[in-house]
Amino acid sequence: MESFRWYLVFVPLSAVMGLVVVYPLAFSLYLSLTNTAGTPELSNYAAMLSASTFWSSLNISLLYSLTSTILAVAIGLVLTMLLTYRFRFRGLLEVVCLLPLAVAPIVVGTVFAPSGFWDDVQSFLVFQLHQPYFNELSPSFFFPTMFVSEAWEWAPLIMLVALSVVQGIPKETTEAAELSGATFLQKFRMVVLPAIFKSPVMQFVVVLRFIDAMRAFEIPLAWSNWLGYTNSLGSPVDTISLYLYKLLYAPSLGFPIGVASAVALALFGITLTGSLVLLRLMRAVGG
Amino acid sequence: MGLGTGDGPQGRRAWKTRVLLYAVVGVVFVYSLWPILTMFLEGYNVDLGAVFAGKAIRFIGGLSYSGGINPTPYYFLQALGAEAYPRLALNTLVVSALSISIALAVGIPAAYALARLDVRGKTLVSYLLLALRTVSQFVVIIPLYITYSALGLYDTFPGIALAEQMLILSVAVWMLKGFFADVPRDVYEAATLFGKREWQTFRRVVLPMVAPGIVVTTMFALVLIWNDFLIADSLTGAATKTVAVGVWEGLSITQLSFSAVTWNGLNAAGTLAYIPAMAVMLAVRKYLARGFSLGLTD
Repeated sequence: MESFRWYLVFVPLSAVMGLVVVYPLAFSLYLSLTNTAGTPELSNYAAMLSASTFWSSLNISLLYSLTSTILAVAIGLVLTMLLTYRFRFRGLLEVVCLLPLAVAPIVVGTVFAPSGFWDDVQSFLVFQLHQPYFNELSPSFFFPTMFVSEAWEWAPLIMLVALSVVQGIPKETTEAAELSGATFLQKFRMVVLPAIFKSPVMQFVVVLRFIDAMRAFEIPLAWSNWLGYTNSLGSPVDTISLYLYKLLYAPSLGFPIGVASAVALALFGITLTGSLVLLRLMRAVGG
Repeated sequence: MGLGTGDGPQGRRAWKTRVLLYAVVGVVFVYSLWPILTMFLEGYNVDLGAVFAGKAIRFIGGLSYSGGINPTPYYFLQALGAEAYPRLALNTLVVSALSISIALAVGIPAAYALARLDVRGKTLVSYLLLALRTVSQFVVIIPLYITYSALGLYDTFPGIALAEQMLILSVAVWMLKGFFADVPRDVYEAATLFGKREWQTFRRVVLPMVAPGIVVTTMFALVLIWNDFLIADSLTGAATKTVAVGVWEGLSITQLSFSAVTWNGLNAAGTLAYIPAMAVMLAVRKYLARGFSLGLTD
Protein backbone atom coordinates (compact mmCIF):
# COMPACT_ATOMS: atom_id res chain seq x y z
CA MET A 1 0.00 0.00 0.00
CA GLU A 2 2.52 2.57 1.13
CA SER A 3 5.42 0.60 -0.24
CA PHE A 4 6.14 3.02 -3.06
CA ARG A 5 6.83 5.92 -0.74
CA TRP A 6 9.24 3.80 1.27
CA TYR A 7 11.63 3.69 -1.63
CA LEU A 8 11.88 7.46 -1.61
CA VAL A 9 13.86 7.42 1.65
CA PHE A 10 16.65 5.58 -0.13
CA VAL A 11 17.00 8.33 -2.74
CA PRO A 12 19.34 10.61 -0.72
CA LEU A 13 21.35 7.57 0.40
CA SER A 14 21.65 6.36 -3.18
CA ALA A 15 22.74 9.83 -4.31
CA VAL A 16 25.61 9.91 -1.80
CA MET A 17 26.57 6.32 -2.58
CA GLY A 18 26.52 7.18 -6.26
CA LEU A 19 28.99 9.97 -5.59
CA VAL A 20 31.36 8.01 -3.35
CA VAL A 21 31.07 4.50 -4.79
CA VAL A 22 29.47 4.15 -8.20
CA TYR A 23 30.96 7.19 -9.90
CA PRO A 24 34.53 6.59 -8.59
CA LEU A 25 34.26 2.91 -9.48
CA ALA A 26 33.22 3.69 -13.05
CA PHE A 27 35.96 6.33 -13.31
CA SER A 28 38.56 3.87 -11.99
CA LEU A 29 37.45 1.31 -14.52
CA TYR A 30 37.78 3.89 -17.28
CA LEU A 31 41.24 4.96 -16.08
CA SER A 32 42.45 1.37 -15.84
CA LEU A 33 41.28 0.57 -19.38
CA THR A 34 42.73 3.58 -21.17
CA ASN A 35 46.20 5.01 -21.62
CA THR A 36 47.16 8.62 -20.93
CA ALA A 37 45.95 9.65 -24.40
CA GLY A 38 42.52 8.20 -23.64
CA THR A 39 42.66 5.30 -26.10
CA PRO A 40 41.28 2.03 -24.76
CA GLU A 41 43.82 -0.68 -24.12
CA LEU A 42 44.69 -3.37 -21.63
CA SER A 43 48.32 -2.38 -21.15
CA ASN A 44 47.69 -1.24 -17.57
CA TYR A 45 46.56 -4.70 -16.54
CA ALA A 46 49.47 -6.25 -18.41
CA ALA A 47 51.86 -3.89 -16.60
CA MET A 48 50.24 -4.75 -13.27
CA LEU A 49 50.44 -8.50 -13.80
CA SER A 50 54.04 -8.42 -15.00
CA ALA A 51 55.28 -6.31 -12.08
CA SER A 52 56.94 -8.48 -9.47
CA THR A 53 56.25 -5.74 -6.90
CA PHE A 54 52.51 -6.30 -7.41
CA TRP A 55 52.73 -10.01 -6.69
CA SER A 56 54.99 -9.58 -3.71
CA SER A 57 52.66 -6.95 -2.24
CA LEU A 58 49.74 -9.33 -2.75
CA ASN A 59 51.67 -12.02 -0.88
CA ILE A 60 52.58 -9.64 1.92
CA SER A 61 48.96 -8.52 2.25
CA LEU A 62 47.71 -12.09 2.47
CA LEU A 63 50.34 -13.03 5.02
CA TYR A 64 49.71 -9.83 6.99
CA SER A 65 45.97 -10.29 6.94
CA LEU A 66 45.90 -13.98 7.84
CA THR A 67 48.46 -13.74 10.59
CA SER A 68 47.18 -10.58 12.22
CA THR A 69 43.57 -11.82 12.11
CA ILE A 70 44.47 -15.14 13.71
CA LEU A 71 46.55 -13.35 16.34
CA ALA A 72 43.76 -10.87 17.06
CA VAL A 73 41.27 -13.71 17.52
CA ALA A 74 43.68 -15.62 19.76
CA ILE A 75 44.46 -12.61 21.95
CA GLY A 76 40.82 -11.55 21.95
CA LEU A 77 39.77 -14.98 23.20
CA VAL A 78 42.37 -14.97 25.97
CA LEU A 79 41.07 -11.58 27.10
CA THR A 80 37.52 -12.91 26.89
CA MET A 81 38.41 -15.89 29.02
CA LEU A 82 39.95 -13.65 31.64
CA LEU A 83 36.95 -11.32 31.65
CA THR A 84 34.37 -14.09 32.03
CA TYR A 85 36.09 -14.93 35.31
CA ARG A 86 34.69 -13.11 38.31
CA PHE A 87 37.29 -11.12 40.25
CA ARG A 88 37.79 -7.78 41.91
CA PHE A 89 39.20 -5.58 39.15
CA ARG A 90 37.23 -7.14 36.31
CA GLY A 91 35.46 -3.91 35.31
CA LEU A 92 38.66 -1.89 35.36
CA LEU A 93 40.47 -4.54 33.36
CA GLU A 94 37.76 -4.50 30.72
CA VAL A 95 38.23 -0.74 30.27
CA VAL A 96 42.02 -1.12 30.11
CA CYS A 97 41.66 -3.87 27.51
CA LEU A 98 39.60 -1.53 25.34
CA LEU A 99 42.19 1.25 25.29
CA PRO A 100 44.18 0.08 22.21
CA LEU A 101 41.00 0.29 20.11
CA ALA A 102 41.03 4.10 20.22
CA VAL A 103 44.63 4.51 19.07
CA ALA A 104 44.73 5.74 15.47
CA PRO A 105 46.29 3.03 13.25
CA ILE A 106 48.99 5.45 12.09
CA VAL A 107 49.86 6.06 15.75
CA VAL A 108 50.00 2.29 16.35
CA GLY A 109 52.65 2.29 13.64
CA THR A 110 54.68 4.88 15.52
CA VAL A 111 54.06 3.49 19.01
CA PHE A 112 55.59 0.14 18.06
CA ALA A 113 58.47 1.77 16.20
CA PRO A 114 61.99 0.55 16.93
CA SER A 115 62.92 3.84 18.56
CA GLY A 116 59.91 3.85 20.87
CA PHE A 117 58.47 0.82 22.54
CA TRP A 118 61.09 -1.66 21.33
CA ASP A 119 64.12 0.24 22.52
CA ASP A 120 62.65 0.03 26.00
CA VAL A 121 62.01 -3.70 25.64
CA GLN A 122 65.50 -4.15 24.17
CA SER A 123 67.03 -2.25 27.03
CA PHE A 124 65.05 -4.25 29.59
CA LEU A 125 66.08 -7.57 28.04
CA VAL A 126 69.73 -6.67 27.61
CA PHE A 127 70.47 -4.86 30.82
CA GLN A 128 68.01 -6.41 33.28
CA LEU A 129 67.74 -9.97 31.97
CA HIS A 130 71.19 -10.09 30.31
CA GLN A 131 69.89 -11.35 26.97
CA PRO A 132 71.75 -10.70 23.72
CA TYR A 133 70.75 -7.78 21.47
CA PHE A 134 68.24 -8.45 18.71
CA ASN A 135 68.20 -6.61 15.41
CA GLU A 136 65.05 -4.49 15.23
CA LEU A 137 65.39 -4.06 11.46
CA SER A 138 65.59 -7.73 10.51
CA PRO A 139 62.56 -9.40 8.86
CA SER A 140 62.29 -11.99 11.61
CA PHE A 141 61.65 -9.10 13.96
CA PHE A 142 59.61 -6.53 12.05
CA PHE A 143 57.11 -8.90 10.44
CA PRO A 144 55.98 -10.40 13.74
CA THR A 145 55.97 -6.92 15.25
CA MET A 146 53.68 -5.59 12.53
CA PHE A 147 51.31 -8.53 12.91
CA VAL A 148 51.27 -8.21 16.67
CA SER A 149 50.68 -4.46 16.59
CA GLU A 150 47.75 -4.90 14.19
CA ALA A 151 46.41 -7.62 16.48
CA TRP A 152 47.09 -5.46 19.55
CA GLU A 153 44.81 -2.78 18.17
CA TRP A 154 41.95 -5.07 17.11
CA ALA A 155 41.94 -7.89 19.68
CA PRO A 156 39.68 -5.75 21.94
CA LEU A 157 37.07 -5.79 19.18
CA ILE A 158 37.09 -9.59 19.08
CA MET A 159 36.87 -9.52 22.87
CA LEU A 160 33.84 -7.20 22.83
CA VAL A 161 31.93 -9.34 20.35
CA ALA A 162 32.90 -12.56 22.17
CA LEU A 163 31.71 -11.10 25.46
CA SER A 164 28.36 -10.21 23.90
CA VAL A 165 28.08 -13.81 22.69
CA VAL A 166 28.88 -15.06 26.20
CA GLN A 167 26.08 -12.90 27.56
CA GLY A 168 23.67 -14.61 25.21
CA ILE A 169 24.51 -18.13 26.44
CA PRO A 170 21.45 -19.46 28.29
CA LYS A 171 21.97 -19.66 32.03
CA GLU A 172 20.71 -23.26 32.09
CA THR A 173 23.64 -24.36 29.95
CA THR A 174 26.31 -23.00 32.26
CA GLU A 175 24.41 -24.16 35.33
CA ALA A 176 24.15 -27.65 33.91
CA ALA A 177 27.88 -27.64 33.31
CA GLU A 178 28.47 -26.47 36.89
CA LEU A 179 26.22 -29.19 38.29
CA SER A 180 28.18 -31.84 36.47
CA GLY A 181 31.26 -30.51 38.24
CA ALA A 182 32.96 -28.73 35.36
CA THR A 183 35.83 -26.42 36.32
CA PHE A 184 36.08 -22.90 34.94
CA LEU A 185 38.46 -23.96 32.19
CA GLN A 186 36.29 -26.92 31.21
CA LYS A 187 33.23 -24.68 31.04
CA PHE A 188 35.12 -22.19 28.88
CA ARG A 189 36.40 -24.86 26.55
CA MET A 190 33.21 -26.89 26.20
CA VAL A 191 30.44 -24.32 26.50
CA VAL A 192 31.79 -20.83 25.79
CA LEU A 193 34.29 -21.42 22.98
CA PRO A 194 31.92 -23.44 20.77
CA ALA A 195 29.24 -20.78 21.28
CA ILE A 196 31.70 -18.07 20.22
CA PHE A 197 32.90 -19.90 17.12
CA LYS A 198 29.36 -20.84 16.07
CA SER A 199 28.07 -17.30 16.39
CA PRO A 200 27.44 -15.80 12.93
CA VAL A 201 28.13 -12.34 14.38
CA MET A 202 31.57 -13.49 15.48
CA GLN A 203 32.22 -15.03 12.07
CA PHE A 204 31.06 -11.81 10.44
CA VAL A 205 33.41 -9.70 12.53
CA VAL A 206 36.37 -12.02 11.88
CA VAL A 207 35.80 -11.95 8.11
CA LEU A 208 35.38 -8.17 8.22
CA ARG A 209 38.64 -7.90 10.17
CA PHE A 210 40.35 -10.07 7.56
CA ILE A 211 39.10 -7.81 4.75
CA ASP A 212 40.18 -4.69 6.65
CA ALA A 213 43.61 -6.21 7.23
CA MET A 214 43.85 -7.01 3.51
CA ARG A 215 43.56 -3.27 2.97
CA ALA A 216 45.99 -2.50 5.82
CA PHE A 217 47.91 0.65 5.18
CA GLU A 218 49.02 2.71 8.16
CA ILE A 219 51.13 0.23 10.14
CA PRO A 220 52.99 -0.97 7.00
CA LEU A 221 53.50 2.68 5.99
CA ALA A 222 55.13 3.41 9.32
CA TRP A 223 57.35 0.33 9.08
CA SER A 224 58.30 1.06 5.49
CA ASN A 225 59.44 4.41 6.84
CA TRP A 226 61.44 2.91 9.73
CA LEU A 227 63.10 0.60 7.20
CA GLY A 228 64.18 3.54 5.08
CA TYR A 229 61.72 3.25 2.19
CA THR A 230 59.72 6.41 2.76
CA ASN A 231 58.16 6.80 -0.67
CA SER A 232 59.95 4.19 -2.72
CA LEU A 233 58.76 0.83 -3.95
CA GLY A 234 60.33 -2.45 -3.02
CA SER A 235 60.31 -2.35 0.76
CA PRO A 236 59.75 -5.81 2.25
CA VAL A 237 56.60 -4.59 4.01
CA ASP A 238 54.67 -3.20 1.01
CA THR A 239 51.07 -4.35 1.30
CA ILE A 240 48.74 -3.78 -1.66
CA SER A 241 47.46 -0.52 -0.21
CA LEU A 242 50.97 0.69 0.47
CA TYR A 243 52.05 -0.40 -3.02
CA LEU A 244 49.18 1.69 -4.42
CA TYR A 245 50.12 4.66 -2.28
CA LYS A 246 53.72 4.52 -3.47
CA LEU A 247 52.64 4.16 -7.11
CA LEU A 248 50.79 7.43 -6.70
CA TYR A 249 53.27 9.32 -4.54
CA ALA A 250 56.73 8.17 -5.58
CA PRO A 251 58.03 11.10 -7.64
CA SER A 252 60.19 8.88 -9.85
CA LEU A 253 57.28 6.82 -11.15
CA GLY A 254 55.54 9.69 -12.95
CA PHE A 255 52.03 9.12 -11.56
CA PRO A 256 51.07 5.86 -13.38
CA ILE A 257 47.38 6.42 -12.77
CA GLY A 258 46.15 3.70 -15.13
CA VAL A 259 48.21 0.98 -13.47
CA ALA A 260 47.26 2.27 -10.01
CA SER A 261 43.58 2.11 -10.95
CA ALA A 262 44.04 -1.45 -12.20
CA VAL A 263 45.69 -2.48 -8.91
CA ALA A 264 42.98 -0.70 -6.92
CA LEU A 265 40.31 -2.58 -8.84
CA ALA A 266 42.12 -5.88 -8.26
CA LEU A 267 42.06 -5.16 -4.53
CA PHE A 268 38.41 -4.19 -4.84
CA GLY A 269 37.72 -7.58 -6.47
CA ILE A 270 39.26 -9.31 -3.47
CA THR A 271 37.33 -7.32 -0.88
CA LEU A 272 34.10 -7.64 -2.88
CA THR A 273 34.40 -11.44 -2.77
CA GLY A 274 34.93 -11.14 0.96
CA SER A 275 31.87 -8.99 1.36
CA LEU A 276 29.76 -11.67 -0.38
CA VAL A 277 30.71 -13.95 2.51
CA LEU A 278 29.78 -11.12 4.87
CA LEU A 279 26.37 -10.73 3.23
CA ARG A 280 25.62 -14.41 3.77
CA LEU A 281 26.58 -14.20 7.42
CA MET A 282 24.55 -11.03 7.78
CA ARG A 283 21.48 -12.82 6.43
CA ALA A 284 22.10 -15.64 8.90
CA VAL A 285 21.85 -13.11 11.73
CA GLY A 286 18.81 -11.55 10.11
CA GLY A 287 20.36 -8.12 9.73
CA MET B 1 28.25 -11.93 32.72
CA GLY B 2 30.71 -14.22 34.43
CA LEU B 3 30.86 -17.92 34.59
CA GLY B 4 31.59 -17.91 38.29
CA THR B 5 34.99 -18.77 39.59
CA GLY B 6 34.59 -22.51 39.36
CA ASP B 7 37.19 -22.94 42.10
CA GLY B 8 37.22 -25.73 44.53
CA PRO B 9 36.90 -25.22 48.27
CA GLN B 10 38.84 -22.51 50.05
CA GLY B 11 42.41 -23.16 51.03
CA ARG B 12 45.73 -23.73 49.36
CA ARG B 13 44.30 -24.31 45.92
CA ALA B 14 42.15 -21.17 45.94
CA TRP B 15 45.17 -19.18 47.11
CA LYS B 16 47.30 -20.50 44.28
CA THR B 17 44.56 -19.78 41.76
CA ARG B 18 44.35 -16.24 43.01
CA VAL B 19 48.08 -15.63 42.62
CA LEU B 20 47.96 -17.02 39.10
CA LEU B 21 44.89 -14.92 38.30
CA TYR B 22 46.48 -11.67 39.43
CA ALA B 23 49.71 -12.52 37.64
CA VAL B 24 47.74 -12.90 34.40
CA VAL B 25 45.79 -9.71 35.12
CA GLY B 26 49.11 -7.91 35.63
CA VAL B 27 50.46 -9.18 32.33
CA VAL B 28 47.31 -8.04 30.51
CA PHE B 29 47.58 -4.59 32.14
CA VAL B 30 51.16 -4.21 30.96
CA TYR B 31 50.33 -5.61 27.51
CA SER B 32 47.50 -3.12 26.98
CA LEU B 33 49.03 -0.09 28.59
CA TRP B 34 52.77 -0.18 28.06
CA PRO B 35 52.77 0.90 24.39
CA ILE B 36 50.41 3.79 25.18
CA LEU B 37 52.39 4.71 28.28
CA THR B 38 55.63 4.68 26.28
CA MET B 39 54.15 7.14 23.81
CA PHE B 40 53.03 9.42 26.63
CA LEU B 41 56.40 9.29 28.40
CA GLU B 42 58.44 9.80 25.23
CA GLY B 43 56.35 12.88 24.61
CA TYR B 44 57.69 14.15 27.94
CA ASN B 45 61.19 13.11 26.91
CA VAL B 46 61.27 10.30 29.44
CA ASP B 47 62.99 7.27 27.91
CA LEU B 48 62.23 4.09 29.85
CA GLY B 49 65.04 2.37 27.98
CA ALA B 50 67.53 4.45 29.90
CA VAL B 51 65.90 3.51 33.19
CA PHE B 52 66.20 -0.17 32.44
CA ALA B 53 69.77 0.25 31.27
CA GLY B 54 70.73 1.83 34.56
CA LYS B 55 74.26 3.20 34.42
CA ALA B 56 75.33 0.93 31.58
CA ILE B 57 74.01 3.03 28.73
CA ARG B 58 75.22 6.36 29.99
CA PHE B 59 78.76 6.07 28.74
CA ILE B 60 78.72 4.66 25.25
CA GLY B 61 82.19 5.06 23.77
CA GLY B 62 83.14 7.30 26.64
CA LEU B 63 80.44 9.81 25.77
CA SER B 64 77.65 10.58 28.15
CA TYR B 65 74.28 9.47 26.86
CA SER B 66 71.98 12.38 26.28
CA GLY B 67 68.68 10.44 26.42
CA GLY B 68 67.05 9.22 29.55
CA ILE B 69 64.96 10.94 32.16
CA ASN B 70 64.81 14.59 31.27
CA PRO B 71 61.11 15.27 31.72
CA THR B 72 60.00 18.43 29.98
CA PRO B 73 56.61 19.68 28.82
CA TYR B 74 58.42 21.34 25.90
CA TYR B 75 57.14 18.98 23.20
CA PHE B 76 53.57 19.10 24.44
CA LEU B 77 53.68 22.89 24.58
CA GLN B 78 55.19 22.99 21.12
CA ALA B 79 52.47 20.70 19.80
CA LEU B 80 49.82 22.83 21.49
CA GLY B 81 51.13 25.96 19.77
CA ALA B 82 48.46 27.82 17.83
CA GLU B 83 49.55 26.60 14.40
CA ALA B 84 49.85 22.96 15.32
CA TYR B 85 47.49 20.75 17.28
CA PRO B 86 44.59 23.17 17.93
CA ARG B 87 44.42 23.98 14.25
CA LEU B 88 44.45 20.30 13.28
CA ALA B 89 41.82 19.47 15.90
CA LEU B 90 39.61 22.29 14.66
CA ASN B 91 39.99 21.08 11.05
CA THR B 92 39.06 17.57 12.09
CA LEU B 93 36.01 18.80 13.99
CA VAL B 94 34.82 20.82 10.99
CA VAL B 95 35.30 17.82 8.69
CA SER B 96 33.48 15.61 11.22
CA ALA B 97 30.60 18.04 11.66
CA LEU B 98 30.02 18.28 7.92
CA SER B 99 30.57 14.62 7.27
CA ILE B 100 28.40 13.35 10.11
CA SER B 101 25.62 15.79 9.15
CA ILE B 102 25.56 14.30 5.66
CA ALA B 103 25.64 10.75 7.03
CA LEU B 104 22.80 11.43 9.48
CA ALA B 105 20.70 13.33 6.94
CA VAL B 106 20.72 10.50 4.41
CA GLY B 107 21.20 7.71 6.95
CA ILE B 108 18.35 8.33 9.39
CA PRO B 109 15.49 7.95 6.87
CA ALA B 110 17.19 4.95 5.27
CA ALA B 111 17.86 3.29 8.63
CA TYR B 112 14.25 3.89 9.71
CA ALA B 113 13.00 2.26 6.53
CA LEU B 114 15.45 -0.64 6.81
CA ALA B 115 14.32 -1.32 10.37
CA ARG B 116 10.61 -1.33 9.45
CA LEU B 117 10.56 -2.41 5.84
CA ASP B 118 9.74 -5.97 4.79
CA VAL B 119 10.05 -5.90 1.02
CA ARG B 120 12.61 -6.58 -1.67
CA GLY B 121 15.43 -4.13 -2.23
CA LYS B 122 16.56 -4.39 1.38
CA THR B 123 19.25 -6.91 0.44
CA LEU B 124 20.47 -4.69 -2.37
CA VAL B 125 20.81 -1.72 -0.02
CA SER B 126 22.58 -3.94 2.54
CA TYR B 127 24.98 -5.19 -0.09
CA LEU B 128 25.74 -1.71 -1.40
CA LEU B 129 26.44 -0.58 2.16
CA LEU B 130 28.76 -3.54 2.66
CA ALA B 131 30.55 -2.73 -0.59
CA LEU B 132 30.94 0.84 0.63
CA ARG B 133 32.36 -0.39 3.93
CA THR B 134 34.85 -2.80 2.37
CA VAL B 135 35.83 -0.99 -0.85
CA SER B 136 39.54 -0.43 -1.39
CA GLN B 137 39.92 3.23 -0.51
CA PHE B 138 42.10 3.86 -3.55
CA VAL B 139 39.31 2.92 -5.97
CA VAL B 140 37.55 5.98 -4.59
CA ILE B 141 40.49 8.20 -3.77
CA ILE B 142 42.11 8.25 -7.24
CA PRO B 143 38.97 9.37 -9.14
CA LEU B 144 37.97 11.78 -6.39
CA TYR B 145 41.44 13.30 -6.39
CA ILE B 146 41.22 13.93 -10.14
CA THR B 147 37.66 15.22 -9.97
CA TYR B 148 38.35 17.40 -6.93
CA SER B 149 41.41 18.92 -8.59
CA ALA B 150 39.31 19.79 -11.65
CA LEU B 151 36.45 21.24 -9.61
CA GLY B 152 38.58 23.04 -7.04
CA LEU B 153 37.34 20.76 -4.25
CA TYR B 154 40.77 19.42 -3.35
CA ASP B 155 41.80 20.50 0.14
CA THR B 156 38.33 21.84 0.97
CA PHE B 157 36.05 20.82 3.83
CA PRO B 158 33.08 19.73 1.67
CA GLY B 159 35.38 17.61 -0.48
CA ILE B 160 36.93 15.69 2.37
CA ALA B 161 33.58 15.46 4.20
CA LEU B 162 32.07 13.71 1.19
CA ALA B 163 35.03 11.32 0.88
CA GLU B 164 34.78 10.37 4.56
CA GLN B 165 31.33 8.88 3.84
CA MET B 166 33.33 5.90 2.68
CA LEU B 167 34.29 5.42 6.29
CA ILE B 168 31.17 6.36 8.23
CA LEU B 169 28.04 6.10 6.09
CA SER B 170 27.46 2.36 6.24
CA VAL B 171 28.46 2.23 9.89
CA ALA B 172 26.03 5.06 10.69
CA VAL B 173 23.13 3.47 8.78
CA TRP B 174 23.61 0.12 10.49
CA MET B 175 24.01 1.53 13.97
CA LEU B 176 20.92 3.70 13.50
CA LYS B 177 18.99 0.78 12.08
CA GLY B 178 19.76 -1.11 15.29
CA PHE B 179 18.47 1.76 17.41
CA PHE B 180 15.26 2.03 15.36
CA ALA B 181 14.78 -1.73 15.66
CA ASP B 182 15.09 -1.37 19.45
CA VAL B 183 11.90 0.72 19.50
CA PRO B 184 9.15 -1.75 20.49
CA ARG B 185 6.61 -2.66 17.80
CA ASP B 186 3.84 -1.59 20.19
CA VAL B 187 4.97 2.00 19.89
CA TYR B 188 4.40 2.01 16.15
CA GLU B 189 1.08 0.23 16.53
CA ALA B 190 -0.13 2.61 19.23
CA ALA B 191 0.86 5.58 17.10
CA THR B 192 -1.03 4.15 14.14
CA LEU B 193 -4.07 3.52 16.35
CA PHE B 194 -4.10 7.17 17.31
CA GLY B 195 -4.29 7.95 13.61
CA LYS B 196 -0.82 9.36 13.28
CA ARG B 197 0.67 9.38 9.83
CA GLU B 198 4.00 7.72 9.18
CA TRP B 199 5.83 11.04 9.15
CA GLN B 200 4.24 12.14 12.42
CA THR B 201 5.00 8.80 14.06
CA PHE B 202 8.58 9.16 12.97
CA ARG B 203 8.97 12.81 13.90
CA ARG B 204 7.04 12.95 17.18
CA VAL B 205 7.30 9.45 18.62
CA VAL B 206 10.21 7.48 17.24
CA LEU B 207 12.84 10.15 16.68
CA PRO B 208 12.85 11.37 20.32
CA MET B 209 13.18 7.76 21.46
CA VAL B 210 16.15 7.22 19.16
CA ALA B 211 17.88 10.55 19.96
CA PRO B 212 20.38 8.94 22.38
CA GLY B 213 21.23 6.43 19.67
CA ILE B 214 21.88 9.26 17.24
CA VAL B 215 24.29 10.82 19.74
CA VAL B 216 26.10 7.49 20.14
CA THR B 217 26.34 7.10 16.36
CA THR B 218 27.72 10.63 16.05
CA MET B 219 30.40 9.96 18.66
CA PHE B 220 31.39 6.69 17.07
CA ALA B 221 31.68 8.30 13.64
CA LEU B 222 33.69 11.12 15.18
CA VAL B 223 36.32 8.66 16.41
CA LEU B 224 36.48 6.98 13.00
CA ILE B 225 37.11 10.29 11.23
CA TRP B 226 39.49 11.51 13.93
CA ASN B 227 41.63 8.38 13.53
CA ASP B 228 41.43 8.18 9.74
CA PHE B 229 44.72 8.66 7.98
CA LEU B 230 44.53 7.37 4.41
CA ILE B 231 41.52 9.29 3.08
CA ALA B 232 42.47 12.50 4.83
CA ASP B 233 46.11 12.27 3.79
CA SER B 234 45.15 11.89 0.13
CA LEU B 235 42.52 14.60 -0.10
CA THR B 236 43.59 17.29 2.36
CA GLY B 237 46.40 19.79 2.06
CA ALA B 238 47.62 22.65 4.19
CA ALA B 239 44.16 24.19 4.63
CA THR B 240 42.18 21.20 5.91
CA LYS B 241 44.79 18.80 7.31
CA THR B 242 43.36 16.57 10.05
CA VAL B 243 44.88 15.36 13.31
CA ALA B 244 46.07 11.90 12.24
CA VAL B 245 47.78 13.32 9.16
CA GLY B 246 49.38 16.09 11.18
CA VAL B 247 50.71 13.65 13.76
CA TRP B 248 52.40 11.54 11.12
CA GLU B 249 53.91 14.56 9.43
CA GLY B 250 55.33 15.62 12.75
CA LEU B 251 53.04 18.66 13.02
CA SER B 252 54.96 21.60 11.66
CA ILE B 253 58.08 19.56 11.04
CA THR B 254 57.84 18.32 7.48
CA GLN B 255 60.66 15.84 7.23
CA LEU B 256 60.31 12.91 9.56
CA SER B 257 63.55 11.49 10.84
CA PHE B 258 64.94 9.59 13.77
CA SER B 259 66.25 12.73 15.38
CA ALA B 260 65.29 13.12 19.01
CA VAL B 261 63.33 16.30 18.51
CA THR B 262 60.89 14.97 15.94
CA TRP B 263 60.62 11.67 17.74
CA ASN B 264 59.51 13.28 20.99
CA GLY B 265 57.31 15.72 19.11
CA LEU B 266 55.68 12.83 17.29
CA ASN B 267 54.91 11.10 20.57
CA ALA B 268 53.59 14.24 22.22
CA ALA B 269 51.33 14.81 19.21
CA GLY B 270 50.30 11.15 19.21
CA THR B 271 49.31 11.41 22.85
CA LEU B 272 47.32 14.56 22.22
CA ALA B 273 45.56 12.85 19.31
CA TYR B 274 44.85 9.79 21.40
CA ILE B 275 43.31 11.33 24.51
CA PRO B 276 40.13 12.79 22.94
CA ALA B 277 39.58 9.65 20.83
CA MET B 278 39.93 7.51 23.93
CA ALA B 279 37.56 9.68 25.96
CA VAL B 280 34.85 9.60 23.28
CA MET B 281 35.31 5.90 22.68
CA LEU B 282 35.07 5.01 26.36
CA ALA B 283 31.94 7.15 26.64
CA VAL B 284 30.22 4.95 24.05
CA ARG B 285 31.92 1.71 25.02
CA LYS B 286 28.61 -0.13 25.55
CA TYR B 287 27.90 0.35 21.85
CA LEU B 288 31.37 -0.34 20.44
CA ALA B 289 30.59 -3.95 19.55
CA ARG B 290 27.51 -2.76 17.72
CA GLY B 291 29.40 -0.10 15.79
CA PHE B 292 32.30 -2.30 14.75
CA SER B 293 30.11 -5.28 13.83
CA LEU B 294 27.93 -3.05 11.64
CA GLY B 295 25.00 -3.25 14.02
CA LEU B 296 24.85 -7.02 14.29
CA THR B 297 25.40 -7.25 18.04
CA ASP B 298 22.97 -5.81 20.58
